[in-house]
Amino acid sequence: MFSRKFDMGVKIGGAVAGGVVAVLVLIGYFGFRNSFADVGYRPEQPVPFSHKLHAGQLQIHCQYCHAGVEKSAHSPVPTTQTCMNCHTAVKAESPKLQLVRDSYESGNPIQWVRIHKVPDYAHFNHSRHIRAQIDCKSCHGPVEEMGVVSQFKPLSMGWCLDCHRNPEANIVGARPISGVFTGKVHDMKNLLDSSYIFTPIKAQVHDKGELEPLTVPQYGGYHTKVPPVTVAGIPHPKKAGIGPENCSSCHY
Amino acid sequence: MKLSFSKLVQIAAVLGLVVLAVMLFSGNMTWFSTEPPVEIQPNLDHQFRAIPQSPNTFFADGKSLREPVEGSIARGAQPYALGQGDIDAAETANVDPNLPNTEFVLARGQNRFNTFCSPCHYYNGQSENSAVSKKGWAGIPNLTRPETAALSNARIFHIISAGQNLMPSYADKIDPIDRWAIIRYLRSLQGVEGVASKPVASTATN
Repeated sequence: MFSRKFDMGVKIGGAVAGGVVAVLVLIGYFGFRNSFADVGYRPEQPVPFSHKLHAGQLQIHCQYCHAGVEKSAHSPVPTTQTCMNCHTAVKAESPKLQLVRDSYESGNPIQWVRIHKVPDYAHFNHSRHIRAQIDCKSCHGPVEEMGVVSQFKPLSMGWCLDCHRNPEANIVGARPISGVFTGKVHDMKNLLDSSYIFTPIKAQVHDKGELEPLTVPQYGGYHTKVPPVTVAGIPHPKKAGIGPENCSSCHY
Repeated sequence: MKLSFSKLVQIAAVLGLVVLAVMLFSGNMTWFSTEPPVEIQPNLDHQFRAIPQSPNTFFADGKSLREPVEGSIARGAQPYALGQGDIDAAETANVDPNLPNTEFVLARGQNRFNTFCSPCHYYNGQSENSAVSKKGWAGIPNLTRPETAALSNARIFHIISAGQNLMPSYADKIDPIDRWAIIRYLRSLQGVEGVASKPVASTATN
């Protein structure tokens, strides 16, 4: 009916159009997921701070700067004072640190760019996870190898639940570099209790570069492999009262 | 068999899609971007509220974190009242809670020591080879020398809390009870008799 050339044009056009539609569908479906859109977010910071140098090479523990993560929901970005603890003497004249010195003198904070963020309607508590001996690396990746920090995990709700339903496969146990304490600090009165028995941690030499987990995490008493809750025979993961799978554990 | 051009185009398109799909599904496709993530549904992701350490347009100084009212103390906070020079007052003001001689106390002290003290004083307290001394900060005292071992617990608590010479105060970073645990661990590094119930490896971390 049509010419041979026209027929072939329709075929090629159809294939190309089909391909374009398929790519758009794939991008639409996967491209805006956190695992795709958020992972790899690596903003430029006002001060060219290198975790690779400070945590990786100099082996300064995460908690030296991010002190207070054991106690608060929010993991604090260090104060300028923390930088100046060392940089009053070390590299005191470096032009890269001009902004730090300005901040120290003026009292105005350095405006670090935030990378990791859960939506404002979801609450994440750092201290609960740190006290359960879950290493920073579990969620933030090998920060001590990053010259410029980027987001390593999607921080999506599905990702949270993946770990809470199968912690062994996802959690990195406390490593020496993070400074996560491998004892229970839920209650500081343990320090004053002479009958409190602490299982001693295995000594580990720092200089070897071996960063094996010191202990098996206790998961803060959270039991793995929770049997699925069924309501009238239908699996119902969001039924209230089942640990972190309760909606109000994070959305309150 | 001779492949027509259109057939080749179709095969190429399908192959390309398969490769893209595999890369997407496996999650190994990461590129870095300095631009914030795209949000197609940002509904309540960013609410107008005070988030710690975040900017806030509500307050004149633009900070979400507020300065405490002068003279007030945050609930649970235990600020250190003495200045660096109040050495004599420190002896009486800092009452040693006499933490029990348990491994838990030592382990906690070791963890806090390795985290907060080791960047300057190294894991063994002798201050050589530490991160800061390697970077050219000379004259960091050896904590295991007899002069330091002779200091009272209250005095060492004072040094940690208020700082000394170039060492800044660590009162904002280390809880008072942890400071006492650090002192207990430091005594074990100094080899004070009757402190360490069990030898603790000096280079062990955490």
